[in-house]
Amino acid sequence: MRMLDVKDLHVSYGAIKALRGVDFHVEEGEIVALIGSNGAGKTTTLRTISGLERAFKGEILFKGENICRTAPDKIVGMGITHVPEGRRVFTNLTVMGNLKMAASLRKDKAAVKRDVEAVFDRFPRLKERMNQSALTLSGGEQQMLAVGRAMVTGGELIMMDEPSMGLAPMIVEEIFHVIDEMHRSGKTILLVEQNAMMALKYADRAYVYETGSVRLEGNAKEMLNNPIVKETYLGA
Amino acid sequence: MDNFLQLLIYGLQLGSIYALLAIGYTMVFGIIRMINMAHCDFLMMGCYMVYFLVSVLFGGEMIGPAVALLVVMAGSSVIGMVGVGIERVAYRPLRNRPTIMCMISAIGVSIFTQNLFRALPFIGPNPRSFPKLIEDFTINVGAVKISFTRIVTVTLSIFIMLLLWFVIQNTKIGMHMRAVSNDKDAAALMGVNINRVISITFFIGAFLAAVSGSFYASSYPVMQPTMAVTLGNKAFIAAVCGGIGDIRGAVLGGFVIGVAEILVTSVWSEFAYGFCFLVLVVILLFKPEGLLGKPMTEKV
Ligand SMILES: Nc1ncnc2c1ncn2[C@@H]1O[C@H](COP(=O)(O)OP(=O)(O)OP(=O)(O)O)[C@@H](O)[C@H]1O
Ligand SMILES: [Mg+2]
Repeated sequence: MRMLDVKDLHVSYGAIKALRGVDFHVEEGEIVALIGSNGAGKTTTLRTISGLERAFKGEILFKGENICRTAPDKIVGMGITHVPEGRRVFTNLTVMGNLKMAASLRKDKAAVKRDVEAVFDRFPRLKERMNQSALTLSGGEQQMLAVGRAMVTGGELIMMDEPSMGLAPMIVEEIFHVIDEMHRSGKTILLVEQNAMMALKYADRAYVYETGSVRLEGNAKEMLNNPIVKETYLGA
Repeated sequence: MDNFLQLLIYGLQLGSIYALLAIGYTMVFGIIRMINMAHCDFLMMGCYMVYFLVSVLFGGEMIGPAVALLVVMAGSSVIGMVGVGIERVAYRPLRNRPTIMCMISAIGVSIFTQNLFRALPFIGPNPRSFPKLIEDFTINVGAVKISFTRIVTVTLSIFIMLLLWFVIQNTKIGMHMRAVSNDKDAAALMGVNINRVISITFFIGAFLAAVSGSFYASSYPVMQPTMAVTLGNKAFIAAVCGGIGDIRGAVLGGFVIGVAEILVTSVWSEFAYGFCFLVLVVILLFKPEGLLGKPMTEKV
């Protein structure tokens, strides 16, 4: 089934045209990567899917339903979970408070508790810091918390914006490992990454952005060998 | 000494009024980073609301503490809804613009409201007197005289503020308010309805302002459409002194300004209002983020 279908998406910030007709789709169960240089429009794409920005042209179909005019909280309720660029943990809440926020729309208390336990099992460092303000966490721990929140929100489609940004290689491995686990547990993943090598290694398919539109698309493993991709994004 | 204690009681009473009013400035700032220049008008509207309720329902008779409390709460709730409505029509459409536009809109709302009230035939520009809600009496503690109205004002204010603090720290909606004030986008991505949280914040702010209006007018019973302007300025100073965005700061600032004003009034009454600004300047010189405020971190 087609989970997400983005058609001819146009978004601008005042006079700045950030997206000029973006087309891509995500099938259920896939990991799809969006890669491309700085300012190409990857973050804008995710923010528009989540309802934080408004498209002035184009469509976003989630499981067949157009969500272009839907409010962000409704979109979360429909099953899209977005781990934003720069982690964006609530620095005035504790680690536990952040995880509780992630469960805002969930009514099943027992299941939420299980999911929070699962986050703590996965990231023991968060458990140790459970009652500590999220402000005091290191960058890596904040990213763990951001991913942990997504585990608690638990939508069908998880969108991750640069989960590896600014993290030590070991923590990047850990985060990608969790993304892989989420995928195995049945989630569909839309992954935005500067670290193209890492993203292509995990993804099924990928789209390469260039200044507001998709320039290339294809199988992720083939893309690893594509001379254009190699030269521009893999630094080879 | 007795004289000092007596003044302290007056100061606490005025301080609790400023504190209730300052909470609205600080909560709105905390959640949408905007100074609601029209906030003081909720105090004025609250007074007129109670005035009309009492004249229509009870013909201006004295109504006793329990009914008075009920009337004040009901009237203030109506003003809370007015606050929600004003945010909806005057501020929400400007939310994604620079905050200065929102503040200009607020100035417009304030001037419009005051002039509308002056123009309405049943309100008008002339002062009216706020009804006497309860039979007042005085308790003597040594040489210190404490009126029942003062006791009620201070204890109820403190009770309301503790209740608010409890709600913000321990309930789901309180946590949502804290999250929205920290990062609106992130809160939306957790499924929080931002508009609802902002509406609730405006309700609380306007409600508390209206309650403080009834408390104020119970001791200083002269109402007119511009009555709240200086009170609003002082409460705003209180919020900034305490650290704008921080509720405990607003309360502390309210009491500091209230007590300082009364003490200065007793020796040099013409300078009391000016002295509030002096307190502000001195506090900001030594602690630019306010007494309990945290240094501002710019978010991108
Ligand atoms: N809030 C904003 N206001 C104005 N312009 C913006 C805003 N956000 C993004 N832009 C512009 O939109 C374009 C796309 O930005 P976007 O953040 O989507 O790129 P990106 O692909 O995520 O880049 P990066 O890899 O650096 O994160 C850029 O030209 C950027 O300058
Ligand atoms: Mg980006």
